[in-house]
Parts: sequence; structure tokens; C-alpha cells
Amino acid sequence: MKARFAARDQVAIVGYAHSQVERHAPQPLGALALDTAQQAIADAGLTVAQIDGFTTGALFPTAGAHAIQDGVSIVSSNWLAEHLGVNPRYAAGFQGYGQIPGAVSLAVNAIASGTADYVLVHRALHNPAGRYHDNPMSAAAGAMQWTAPQGYFGPLAMIALPYNEYLQRHGATRDAMASVLVEARKNGARIPWSYWHEQPLTAEEYLAAPMIDDPICRYDCDIPVDGVAAFIFTSAERAKDLPHRPVLVSGYATGHPTVRRLPTHWPLDDIMTTGFETARRLWEQSGIGPEDVDLPQLYDGFSPFVYFWLEVLGFCPQGHAHEFVQNGGIDSDLPGGLPVLSGGGALGNGRMHGVPQMLECYLQLSGRAGERQRARATVGLACHSSPHFGGAVVYRAG
Amino acid sequence: MTAPVRPVPVPDDASAPYWEGAAAHVLKVARCARCHAFTIPIDIVCPHCHSTDPAFAFEAVSGRATIRSWTIVHQSFLPGFDDDLPFVLADVELVEQPDLRMIGRLLDGSVTALQIGDSVRVAFEDLAPGVAIPAFTLEEP
Repeated sequence: MKARFAARDQVAIVGYAHSQVERHAPQPLGALALDTAQQAIADAGLTVAQIDGFTTGALFPTAGAHAIQDGVSIVSSNWLAEHLGVNPRYAAGFQGYGQIPGAVSLAVNAIASGTADYVLVHRALHNPAGRYHDNPMSAAAGAMQWTAPQGYFGPLAMIALPYNEYLQRHGATRDAMASVLVEARKNGARIPWSYWHEQPLTAEEYLAAPMIDDPICRYDCDIPVDGVAAFIFTSAERAKDLPHRPVLVSGYATGHPTVRRLPTHWPLDDIMTTGFETARRLWEQSGIGPEDVDLPQLYDGFSPFVYFWLEVLGFCPQGHAHEFVQNGGIDSDLPGGLPVLSGGGALGNGRMHGVPQMLECYLQLSGRAGERQRARATVGLACHSSPHFGGAVVYRAG
Repeated sequence: MTAPVRPVPVPDDASAPYWEGAAAHVLKVARCARCHAFTIPIDIVCPHCHSTDPAFAFEAVSGRATIRSWTIVHQSFLPGFDDDLPFVLADVELVEQPDLRMIGRLLDGSVTALQIGDSVRVAFEDLAPGVAIPAFTLEEP
């Protein structure tokens, strides 16, 4: 299939750094971001003065009443550039959901167009003091008036509705999801920087966890953390002179539904309809199909997203993901298993948004995964967020 | 010490007729004067015909709906709900228009045998004088 993307395989990731993932980091988020950015630049064999582009998606994904303060609870591209002492040619923040594919697309376009030569893509996530989504709201104004007065609030209820719609429609049970959690935590337990390092989870532990918004229990949600990742992008041509094997960007896609809904109301049909279109765009953009992907890293910030991505991307028929995972379909240690959470995902690392998916693609495709290195790792796919609001990036070993 | 109170809606110019209707226990939904489609919640433009001058009017609807999904809330992140836990929130489709969806509490207590497609009817929770929140109850089969 001919790729639609004119810049296919012309932009590469050439280095990275990742902080420890902790419940509460000892230093402020901005300091952690600055340290991580400098490590990534050095890892790529570059100097700070060579970095002329910065992109991120800075969203602080809390429904709680926590302050949004640059350098403290979020880190924007401009904040990072300023504190590195760089006046960049290009600095941008992706505004939608799917911050990782969004920020990657901004970086790729900036390099392919010649706007910038070396772009730093970062993501900084913060866990504030107190409960993450707690909100002492006493008056519900604006959009909140339509949902908060009846107690519909926050992302857990948001994902509980389409998940239950899925369970009811397809005759699935909560038990099947244990396979997703066990797989994510098994792989997260192998990752030294993960919050869940050396802490796998059993199916029994998963099923015994307290319900929050039934059918969503505690372990269906990634745990809020402090953590930062940074990646360095440049042209495939310039990448030839740098120390690490480059990982090329073959294409990306994002989407956004057009149906008017209540705030944070995500009906299953919205997720699937727009999600199928996002997947179609992804294959069209990159010129590959699901059968070509060795490493489909699916987003799992809430566990049901794994089902939705498996189905929209065509790895199993619609309505059958729950059977697919129960039958060992995503066991990355089995010869025939699809390694969709080999990087541990968000459930196995902590709330690093789409970073674990992108990092696993980078590490495996550049041959830098160490003891976890997989034999077959040429084409990777990194998803982020829900299929209807988020997106995905296709990577290829350079 | 008094118990925390639930968030109360703050009506604005666009939503005032909705909350006035609710206070009188009448469910009203915004309807576009151009294409006559209902919209929840009211918007600046019509999401169906894209008119920038939709002249929305709130129209009383039957209050009849079917369940599309639900969640049982065991932990609330908002004040004032703890004494009600666990409670059911239902995602319902109003009979007036395909895919016209609302989310409201199901006031039937701890229901264990819900099914997609179950019929419900609007009900109201009176929070304070002049403040009522639309909710739903199961229809007798």
C-alpha cells in the first residue's frame, strides 16, 4: 500500500531519557523535567545549543481542584526551553487528547518542513498532594451544571459507562480484564524505573480490588505519579551521524468525534465509530496494515481502552477482545501472543499517559531494550488515549 | 458540623428555562428553531444543522427513556454524595429522538438486575427550594 504521508520515514527519534516514576518525586516537576531533558539531549549525542524545537501536550489530567502552574503541576514547551536557556525556532503544545501522538506529530512536521532541526518532545506528569480527582465544588456552573449536580463526575465514571455498555452488549464479564492487568503488571514489574517495579499483580488480587465506579475497580485505573520522559527527534539524514540506531516515524493519526454530548460522556458507539476512522487514517497514512506490526503498544490508562484499541485496529473482531485477552492473545511471553503491553503500559508503569507505549517502541526498535529486547521488533505502533479522542504513531526501525 | 452539600446547578442565560422546568418537575430539552432537532446540552450553535442562529427553545418532553448503560458509584469525588453510596447513574436515551442521551441518577435504590433497553421515566430530586435535579426511575414492566 502506498503511504499518504509525504514525510514517511524521514524523521527519527535519536535519543531519550526517562525519570524514575514515583508517587511523589523529591524535586519539583520542572526540575525533574529539566534534568530529564538534559539527559535526553546528551543521550542523543547533542548539546543544548543544538536543540531548536520543543513540543509537548501539557495537560494535567485531573478533575480535582488542583492548581495548574507551569513548572509545578505542568511543564509546557516554552517553560522547558526558557529554563534550558534556549530561544527556540519552534515551540508548541498539542491541545487535544492523545497528547503523545499530538506532540510527536508537531515535532515531525516541524522537522520535515525545515522549521527546526532537533526537536525535544517531552511529557511531564504530576501527582498533587491529596486525592487526585477530589473536587470540593459546591456550585456547578457552565458545562458542569449538566452533570455534577447528579453526581456524574470525573474520568472513572466516564469510562465506566462505555465499559459497562461493552460488557452488556457483548456478554463479557469483568473476569476477562484480569488478563490485561496481569500482563501489564507482569511487564511493568520488569522495568526498573516503573512505579510497579518488581510488583506483579495476580488475577485474584485484581478481582478483589475495591470498586470505584462499577464495573471500574481501583486496578482498572493507572496510578497517579510524578514522572518525566523526553525524546529527541531529527531528520533521518542527520540521524546517521548520531550514536544510536534511529527509529523512524512512518505515520500518525488522530481524531475527534463530532457528536454533541454531555461533558465527559463517551458512549461506546462514539468511541468505536470515530476510533475505526482513526485506525483507517493510520493505515492510510503509514502505508501498512495491522498484520505488519510487530509491536502494537495499546493505550491502557483505563483498562477498557485495550479492548477498544484491539478492535478498532483490527487485531480481533469487534466485540471479541474480551475473549482474545482471556485466550492468551496478549501474552507477550507466548510465541503467538501479541505484545500489546510489553512495555507495561500505564497500568504497569503509572500514569505516564502514552509515554510507556512510545518508549517501548523506541527501546525495542532501536535495539536498546537490554534484557527485555525482543527478537522481532521492526515495526511498532504507539497508541494514546481513547480511540475516538486520541491517536497513534507508527514507528519503524531505521 | 453540618454535612457537606451536593453541588447545586448555577443557571445561566442559556440554561435558565431548563432549571425552571426542573424546579416544576418538568423535563425540558433545547430544540433548534431551524431544523427542530433536540440537543443535550444546549449549545451556541446547532450541532445538527450547524445554524449559528438556532433560536433554541426549551420544550417539555415525555420524560420516557431507555437505559443504554449504567455505573454503580461506590466512591464520589464530589461533596455531599457519601451518604448515598452506592448509587446508580444511568446513561439513557430519550424516546423523542434517536441517540438523544442524558445521564441521571436511578432512584430505585440498589438495583441489581438492570438491562440495556429497560424503560425509565424522569423523576426529580428536590435539593433545595426551587432547585430540583432530573433523575430517572424504572417503569413497571
